[in-house]
Amino acid sequence: MGKVKQQKERTFLQDLLNFQGSLNGKSKFLDEVRLKGAEEVRNIPFPTKKLEDWKFISLRDLYKDSYELASDLDVDVPDISEHYLPESKGARLTFINGSFSAEHSSTEDIPEEVLIGNIAKLAEEDNDLLKEHLNKYVENNFEEDVFSSFNKAFLKDGVFVYVPEGLTVDVPLHLLFVQTDADTNYFTTSRSVVVADKESEVTVVEDHIGLGDNKYFNLPVVEVNAEEESYVKHTKIQRDSREAIHIARTAAFVHHHANYESYTITRGAKLSRNEPRISQRDEEVEFTVDGLVLIDGDQVSDTHSVMDHRFSHCESHQLHKCVITGKAHSVFNGKIFVRKDAQKIDSFQENRNLLLSRKGLVNTKPQLEIFADDVVCTHGATVGQLEQDELFYLMSRGLNEQQAREMLIYAFALETIENITVDSVQDLLVDEVHRFTENQLDSELTV
Amino acid sequence: MLEIKDLHVCVEEDPSEKILKGVNLTINEGEIHAIMGPNGSGKSTLSKVVAGHEAYEVTQGDILYNGESILDLEADERAHLGIFLAFQYPVEVPGVTNKNLLRQAYNTIAEEQGREELDPLQFEDHAREQLKLVDMKEEFLERSVNAGFSGGEKKRNEIFQMAVLQPKLSFLDETDSGLDIDALKIVANGINELSGEDNAVVLVTHYQRILDYVQPDHVHVMIDGKIAKSGDKDLAIKLEEQGYDWLTDTVSVNGEQQ
Repeated sequence: MGKVKQQKERTFLQDLLNFQGSLNGKSKFLDEVRLKGAEEVRNIPFPTKKLEDWKFISLRDLYKDSYELASDLDVDVPDISEHYLPESKGARLTFINGSFSAEHSSTEDIPEEVLIGNIAKLAEEDNDLLKEHLNKYVENNFEEDVFSSFNKAFLKDGVFVYVPEGLTVDVPLHLLFVQTDADTNYFTTSRSVVVADKESEVTVVEDHIGLGDNKYFNLPVVEVNAEEESYVKHTKIQRDSREAIHIARTAAFVHHHANYESYTITRGAKLSRNEPRISQRDEEVEFTVDGLVLIDGDQVSDTHSVMDHRFSHCESHQLHKCVITGKAHSVFNGKIFVRKDAQKIDSFQENRNLLLSRKGLVNTKPQLEIFADDVVCTHGATVGQLEQDELFYLMSRGLNEQQAREMLIYAFALETIENITVDSVQDLLVDEVHRFTENQLDSELTV
Repeated sequence: MLEIKDLHVCVEEDPSEKILKGVNLTINEGEIHAIMGPNGSGKSTLSKVVAGHEAYEVTQGDILYNGESILDLEADERAHLGIFLAFQYPVEVPGVTNKNLLRQAYNTIAEEQGREELDPLQFEDHAREQLKLVDMKEEFLERSVNAGFSGGEKKRNEIFQMAVLQPKLSFLDETDSGLDIDALKIVANGINELSGEDNAVVLVTHYQRILDYVQPDHVHVMIDGKIAKSGDKDLAIKLEEQGYDWLTDTVSVNGEQQ
């Protein structure tokens, strides 16, 4: 029986390759990329629970259904302007079901020295920078990974940003990925490539929104290259549909004296898997890979991260906080590698879980692999509830139980949110936290 | 104002652990009381039970506030009536500023008591005024509640909260412990400023030290879950000189253990 199941899992992504044909013929470069991706998908087995990295979650929800390619569907797009960030009103690229929408995009506030555009168009123009950077980082950080190969096999559009040497981009770039409601299950992929050249600075907000409650499979891949002395701030907000499957890869290179700061907020999707992998490329770098997960109902959120310290003098930080209620399930596996001769590494990692319900589940596994001797790595994981004494303290000040619980959950979540430098993103996340808290209190009362 | 009658309390999770074994205490408006006693005598439990902590269960007796039992009220409902507890170990709430917590608390209480709520600006004026009382800077308002505060700052923050919320009946649970003499004077001064004819303060303390600065009308000694002796300020001085042993003997002669 096990064998039959294995067979089914192995062929799932390969079946979807049949949709590839409709994409070809617009760019020779992308045609070749996709051919290569498809070849990889045929050769890499689909992950099963037998693999250490996949043992805590089931991908059954993903492979039990069939999907159509999102860009083959006819869609009506409702007004999505409520999702625009005011800071980025002239710095937004919007993708609807994976395809660029010029109508919903604007780049008028972005300095013209910056090369920013959708990959489909840049590929048609045979852009050299795109060809130089595309796939370089994800192929290095993800080997034998069927999902990034699948993303490659369907690579037809996405964002390419190149910030030239010495330039600071003041406006945050809003990369808005909208998934529409539909009667048919669909799959969609996107690629974002952000290259910050020497001494440049850029802020990117990667924003995934599902407009309905429909099922779809969303597979975004993000590549970041922070060159010498550059500073890249990357916030990812995942608010996909409650029935969606979201499997994401982020590959970052951080060079000499550069700083890569990322904050990933997980609120949507039935099943989500984030895999940020940060690769230190030279001495003296800093990076941050913080996360906040708010899940309820039957949501599953899995974060598998890799912080790869390959050279001396690195400060890295990972605070991954999760609030779990209902029957939700949170998984965290944070790998910290410190390679031989990578001395003077100062790495902080902590996974803190606030488990608010009896049926919620947490699997957490911080993981250190250190091959150098002069390093400071602190790591830890905690799973706790709201403390009775904390609630009592706030209630003795006159707050009712709901207000007190909200305040404590908010306080727990805020530590991640408050570092995000785009005000409107902070505000919308604070609203998300409030809505989440209200929902969980309502649902708790009905249990 | 407050009448505690034959109060018996055990730990909710372990009813065999009886902490209060028949406490009687009456507190009137305008009074300052001090409750002293050795570790584990039940002083802190008494203050938490009055404030409504759910970890304790009242098995016998009653607590009347202005003539009505408050045993069925939640902690927040008791706060709305004007009961306040300054915590021995104040809780840290990172991410929530002192100002936001206290404004929400103030307005919730004001609404329940039918008083006027304050908008953010009005509230800030009110809070700033009270800061002077405990000699704290204005940035204190913007700091996260107790997060990263020193022990002394946490205790001063409790008195500050009391000043902002203007309770009728305040239990101060070892607010004097862990303070250096300057901080102790500030805290004592705050208590003196805040106590008036229409409110009452109960100091729960180990030491006579704070009573050099705050003059109690009544001093009670709590031993093994009961008030073993009540008196005036001289009782505190005698305790300082002679310790609790002379009272322990009294209890074992007259108490239940006989």
